[in-house]
Amino acid sequence: MASVAAKKVQFLETGLSSGFWLLLGGLGLLVLFGLGAHYQMEHHGHWISGMNNQIVWGTPHVFAIFLIVAASGALNVASISSVFDKKVYKPLAPLSGLLAIALLLGGLSVLVLDLGRPERLTVAMTHYNFKSIFAWNMILYNGFLAIVAVYLWTMMERKMNGYSKPVGFAAFIWRLMLTTGTGSIFGFLVARQAYDAALLAPMFVVMSFSFGLAVFMLVLMAAFRWTGRPLGDVMVKRLKNLLGVFVAGVLYFVLVYHLTNLYATEHHGVEAFVLRDGGVYTQIFWFGQILLGSLLPLALLYHPATGSKRGAIVAAALLVILGGFAQLYVLLIGGQAYPLVLFPGYEVSSGFSEGVVNSYSPSLPEVVLGISGIAIAGIMVTIAVKVLRFLPVSLADEVVDPHYAPKA
Amino acid sequence: MAMNGLARLLRLAAGAALVLTLSAPASAVPLPEIPEAKGEHCVEDPAVMRKKHMDYLKHQRDETMHQGIRTTKYSLKQCLECHAPVKESGQAVAQEESGHFCKNCHVYAGVKIDCFECHATRPEGNANFHPMVTPGGVSLNKARDDSGALLNRVAAAHSEQAGANQ
Amino acid sequence: MSEQKQPDQSRRDFLTKGATAAAGLSIAPGVLLFGAVNARPADQAVTDQVRWGMLVDTNKCANGCDACVTACKKENGWGEQSGDESHSNELQKSQWIRKVELRHKQTGFAHSLPMMCQHCEHPPCADVCPTGASFKRADGIVLVDKHICIGCRFCMMACPYKARSFVHEELTHQRPNAPRGKGTVEACTMCVGRVDAGLRPACVESCPSQAILFGDLKDPNSEISKTVAKYASTAIRPDLGLNPGVRYQGI
Repeated sequence: MASVAAKKVQFLETGLSSGFWLLLGGLGLLVLFGLGAHYQMEHHGHWISGMNNQIVWGTPHVFAIFLIVAASGALNVASISSVFDKKVYKPLAPLSGLLAIALLLGGLSVLVLDLGRPERLTVAMTHYNFKSIFAWNMILYNGFLAIVAVYLWTMMERKMNGYSKPVGFAAFIWRLMLTTGTGSIFGFLVARQAYDAALLAPMFVVMSFSFGLAVFMLVLMAAFRWTGRPLGDVMVKRLKNLLGVFVAGVLYFVLVYHLTNLYATEHHGVEAFVLRDGGVYTQIFWFGQILLGSLLPLALLYHPATGSKRGAIVAAALLVILGGFAQLYVLLIGGQAYPLVLFPGYEVSSGFSEGVVNSYSPSLPEVVLGISGIAIAGIMVTIAVKVLRFLPVSLADEVVDPHYAPKA
Repeated sequence: MAMNGLARLLRLAAGAALVLTLSAPASAVPLPEIPEAKGEHCVEDPAVMRKKHMDYLKHQRDETMHQGIRTTKYSLKQCLECHAPVKESGQAVAQEESGHFCKNCHVYAGVKIDCFECHATRPEGNANFHPMVTPGGVSLNKARDDSGALLNRVAAAHSEQAGANQ
Repeated sequence: MSEQKQPDQSRRDFLTKGATAAAGLSIAPGVLLFGAVNARPADQAVTDQVRWGMLVDTNKCANGCDACVTACKKENGWGEQSGDESHSNELQKSQWIRKVELRHKQTGFAHSLPMMCQHCEHPPCADVCPTGASFKRADGIVLVDKHICIGCRFCMMACPYKARSFVHEELTHQRPNAPRGKGTVEACTMCVGRVDAGLRPACVESCPSQAILFGDLKDPNSEISKTVAKYASTAIRPDLGLNPGVRYQGI
């Protein structure tokens, strides 16, 4: 703890400006639309959505799972500071925890609002089937919210500061379990060709690192810009290098996943579907997930010409998020679109989409509901940084780096 | 145990609310019209049924669903068998029509029923064939209290009980 | 009016008393009771002494025939029999049982079979259900307890047989013996109400070529047990190790 830190980092609430109200109003409107979409779907039933008995999870689930995965990833910055003792990240830790809670609540809202019987949420809380990974996830989500809330308290209440490291460690372990659980929702589905892989759990963990950090960077840069607080290149450069590593990590897992499947003849059908014949899913995979979501951001982050430009870094983070949505869309909806193989070696037909690629097109209510999840998270962050001291006053280079010496 | 206590408290509160509603000036909201039932008497005393029918139904529902126990005493199907009034056509009244036993009272009490999202709201076919609906049974029914008087008796019992609890 | 006797009750009493009756007792044309031992009194819980199963002989199952599907619709009030799912598109409408036409890619051998909930011994739907709404009864029938189903559809993701449907809109005029409603998942119940009353499932009864055999797989003397012991039969996707209660001959 040798006090190398040249200056004590100060935290302050954001001010009341017209921008604050505008942001709040805009996000509020999106939430309102989302609630409207939920009401429509609830009142009429799910027939107004694009989902059906073959594609049972649709666009709302893509949004929800993205938010849940990003939530645990958003906590990374805090984990790095307290678990791995990187002092530089310490000023960012409260925002990191806040964002984790907000994103998780946003994602869970979408998940709950899409249920066939959302009013039975109490049933879900009182009837647990402990063999269900879904039930376990509910415990993991609630535990995550509680632990991160305590973690924030230990960071923001000076008397509690001493406990921040062990609590941060617990939060780190918990977030790993949480994303493992989320990945296992798919990994445990033995019947479907695209899922049923233990690899999905660690892949989701790495995905969370990447998506969560991308979201965190965007929120950080937007918050500092809109509140006129200085954010130096030292911090941004560290974050963007980290993001690059995570993006490459996800790419690696995607590669291993597909190589494994390509090796096993049993999985050739589903691989051909995703990589070559799947129409919209193939396009989303190659253009959305691989090109725009992985390769382009890597280039932007590491190329000397763009690597130090704020605009390029923002673009890279946005692309990583876009790629994340693409990846989940291909996995989730593409995985269901590919027909279940019930009779290997036979051509099959029935009045119930037997052996054909299942069709799905997202409906407006689904998209609006999904976006409202992002808006819910946004509102929570906007209000929280307004009423509590989550944001440091300055992350200028001389504040961040004790050894920083302005070039003479 | 805590859950039990809570449930009791809630039930007490619900009872109190019912008494309050019922003791309000009669002109405010007209009492629900309760259609006549078939048979001589209900499976339990009407006052007990009013308080506990949901518990009986829920208990029965779980036993039937999970254990295949299909006794008829507390089954929803059996409730409707006697309580769904039969129209002149010989068919019973459905929930969406006026005069449905369950709905009439629930609308009055402002309590949403979840049963009929899934369950049939009336017995199938011609209810007149039912053993309890023979002409003799129907004529016996005529001797019953009219519904308003019955409700008021329950309300009185409730307020007595509420008084005793205080 | 305490315990009222339902029409079924007298039949049950009759069966209980006549416990010596042989399997396959026929009391009326088209109504076949399958043995007194199966007729459980109404107030007794199901036990695991029994495992209900079906054996489909695909050699007898005629291409293009869908009598079983029609009978199921009628018995349980879905499909055009309900007339309610008018908003849902073809992919959203419920499907409890379907006829699958098969043609072998190499040999060209074509045949046909009914697909419905396979009533697995280890049902993946029940494993993944967060609330326990999907469950297996002691006698092996897999059901959805719609009272506690929250409509998350995870069971539909997990089912290898596409046996389940989600109700996409509000329904009315359900059959009293087959409650079903918006926002919950449903599937073949093996006509559980009929089975509890000592009857056979509607699809079994309706098959013009008697291609479906219904009975107790745990009773060595039942026709189904004897047949599966004598002839080769298999489950669909046996590799999953789910040991379905529905087995097939000739695939």
